[in-house]
Formats: sequence, structure tokens, C-alpha cells
Amino acid sequence: MMKPKRPVLRFVCFLLVAALYAKFLWDTEVSVLRLERGLPWMADFIARMFPPDFSVLSSALRGALQTLEIAVVGTSLAALLALPLGFLSARNIAPPSVFYGMRGLLNLFRSIDTMVYALFFVAAVGLGPFPGVMAVVVYTTMSLAKLYSEAIEGIDTGPVEAITATGATRLQILRYGVTPQIIPLFISYILYRLETNIRAAAILGFVGAGGIGFYIQTYLRMMNYRAAACVLLVLIVMVMAVDFASSQIRKALV
Amino acid sequence: MITLRNLQKLYPPDTLALDDCTVTIAPGEFVIVIGPSGSGKSTLLRCINRLIPPTSGQVIVDGLDVTAATGEQLRQARRAVGMIFQQFNLIKRASVIDNVLAGRLGYAHPIASLFGYFGADDRAIAEECLRQVNLLELADRRADTLSGGQQQRVAIARALAQRPKVILADEPTASLDPKLTRVIMDILKEINVGQGMTLVVSQHLIDVALAYGSRLIGLQSGRVVFDGPPQELTAAVIQQIYGEM
Repeated sequence: MMKPKRPVLRFVCFLLVAALYAKFLWDTEVSVLRLERGLPWMADFIARMFPPDFSVLSSALRGALQTLEIAVVGTSLAALLALPLGFLSARNIAPPSVFYGMRGLLNLFRSIDTMVYALFFVAAVGLGPFPGVMAVVVYTTMSLAKLYSEAIEGIDTGPVEAITATGATRLQILRYGVTPQIIPLFISYILYRLETNIRAAAILGFVGAGGIGFYIQTYLRMMNYRAAACVLLVLIVMVMAVDFASSQIRKALV
Repeated sequence: MITLRNLQKLYPPDTLALDDCTVTIAPGEFVIVIGPSGSGKSTLLRCINRLIPPTSGQVIVDGLDVTAATGEQLRQARRAVGMIFQQFNLIKRASVIDNVLAGRLGYAHPIASLFGYFGADDRAIAEECLRQVNLLELADRRADTLSGGQQQRVAIARALAQRPKVILADEPTASLDPKLTRVIMDILKEINVGQGMTLVVSQHLIDVALAYGSRLIGLQSGRVVFDGPPQELTAAVIQQIYGEM
């Protein structure tokens, strides 16, 4: 049985949504005209970047390396910390009370971005790459825990049943029935988080939490656009290299 | 070898999967459980090694009360009962030999085995079981690269590696074509005749059940409605089990 269609109600709903969207456009001052008037300035901005000034290459590379280090250290620590949290927030493993508590906690911490954590940790432990690492750890732990728990919930119960039937202990069941199914997924999620963390760590320097972002911001403030262009190029190459490496690893896993 | 006494399984709120089943199976019997989908065949088999805990009643396997066993006792009871499944349930990414070795988990060191360490005797038994199903030459292949029939043979080797007293097979051929159905049922028959193994197999194909079983048990809505040798399974009884067709 199809529900009876109510064309008037549908039309009223459509009008309401359209009106709301129009308000959003108005509030955000979206304007094609302003964008068009800004075009020459954009062209000017980009023109000032050329040719890039490669005399700052060594500091750009140093910044890039630190960004990579922040992302790798932060992601790997988070990958470990997320393990117990992931199991505790999987519906098919944790008792309901633990599960609901954990899910709430994860959603709470995930609703705040890495950049905000960076501000918090810079205030707490001072400037440098360490608050950057901490920011990456907190956000990534929560986000990986959520992904882990979903992978755990999606496992095929067949092999678990088969291993249970051999007379295996709970740990053996976990090791032989559950782990082989989730490891490839976990690694794939960790690589994905590493890719996004490279991008996140690239702007952590804006708030004093280390990495290549510091140089981008400094050269832009000094209006040394050619030096900023060099740093941006280094960043682009690094991001692409990490994405490529990570996709190769992922391919080898499947 | 197996005694089921007034076995009942209730899935809340009101699905009675098994209703007062009482069956005694002697050593060396080849029992085939038949019945329509949802008649309780899978539940009956899983109560024997307590993959499913019965709501009431008693299961005794080789003198041990499986329904009352806990911890170490329950694991030993399970170890004595090998099981194969419709979907094979192998560890897909692991090698064939590692899958068979999993059958030794109940004997292996509980900690060392977590790191993939098994004793030399466990490895020897695994190899021997793999040879028994004629797959030793594929020992190092990844399990999911094998055909369905081969995967089920690996699963049989895994069950044999438990050195069980009983083997349960839940619709072992339902994912296979008629030719492979015969291959798998022949292997089970060979284990039954050659080693005197007690087998309890659920099977939805009546002609296969008639050809292989030494004894048939007919289930309908969780009740045992037939229990006897294949010769006694008349057309009238079949109609009683499966209803109007």
C-alpha cells in the first residue's frame, strides 16, 4: 500500500526549506558580484608568488619533516590507544551500559576538531610540535575508535563460531576468529587517518603547534609571497607522496 | 555417545526452536537430521556442542553433561566434538594448514598459541588430517583462493584435527553442486566407516539423506516426528515432516 500523497503539504514543505536556504545565503553574504570584483586581487596574489623563492627550501623541508613527524607519531599513538576503546564501543562485544557510555564519549570528543585541541594543548604545555602531537592523538583516537568499533560490529560470525567449536579459549577465539577479519580494515583506517592528519598537521603551525604551517603563516604575514609559494609547493609534494605511499600499502593488503 | 533429554530451546518471546527432543545416539552411527527450513535442525546440532545454550533439558556427550559444563570443562567438551558448516567458516586470509591447525587450539598452549606457536605434534596431526582429505599439496595456499568443495574439505580436516569423538555437520553441502555434494558426503561416510566416527549431519536433500544415513531423524517445528532407519522413511512420513507439497 502506498501512502496517500498530500500535494499541498509537500508544497508547503518545499517552500519552507527554500525560504530557510535563502536566509542562509543572505546571512553568509554570498555574492557573485563581490567574487568577481575580487578576481584581480586573486590574480595579483598569485602573481606575487612567482617565481617561488627556493632560498627558503631548507626551512620549508624542515617544517615539512616536522609536520610528517607530528602526523606519524600522533596517528600511531592514537591507533594503539583506540584499540581498547574500539572494543569497548562495539555493540557485539561490550555490555550495553558500557557501549552507550563509550559511544557518547566518542561522539563528544569527535565533535571538536584537531585545531581546537591544538589551541588547548598550546595553552597547556606551550608552543612546539608536542601540543600538535597531542591534538592529533586526542581527535584521532576518538575517530579511530569509532571506525574500529564499526569494523568489529561488521565481522562474519561464522569463523568465530567455528573457532569456538574447537574448544578454544576466549583469547584464542579473539585471536583466530576475530582478529584476522579486522586487521586489514584497521590498517586501512589508520592509513586514511594518517593522510588526513598530514593535512591537519600542516596548519597546526598557525596556532603555534609546530610543523610547516608556521612557515606558511610567517611568510604570508611578512608578505613574502614567493617564499610562501616555495613552502606550499613542498607541502603539496609531501601530501601527494604520502597519499601515494598509503594507497600502495592499502593495495598490497587487499 | 550422545544423549539429548527433553531438550527445549525457546527464542524469546515465543519461538520454540526445539520442543522436548529426546534422542540417544550410539557410537558409530551416521545420523542425518532432516526437516524443512526453520524446523530446528541447526539449533539441535548447536546444542550438542553448546554453541547455543538450550533453555532446558540435558545434553550428554561421551558421558559428560555438556549443559552443566563451565570453563575448562566446556572447552574440553567442545574439543571432543568437531563441527563443519554450510559456509565452511574458514579464516579466509590464513593459509590452509593454519586453518587446520586451528582445530588444535583446544590442545595447544593457551598463551603460546596466541602467537601462532603450535607444538610439533599439533603440526603433525594437522598435516595428517590435511592428507586425509587429499589437500596436502595446497597446504600453503590462502584459504579463500580455494574452490568451495576444497574449502569444505579443509573444514573437515580442521574438525578431524580436533581428534573428536563426534562430528557435527550443519548442511555441509547446501552451498555446493550435486557432484561436490557426493564428494563431501563420501568423505564423511569414509570417516564414519573407516574410523568408526559418530556423525550427526543435517541435510535438506532427502535422497542424499536416504543414501548416506544409517539413521534418520525428522524434525518438524522443533519436534522429533521421525526416528528410524532410512527404509522406514515412507512417502507418508515424508509428507508428515514436510507438510503438503
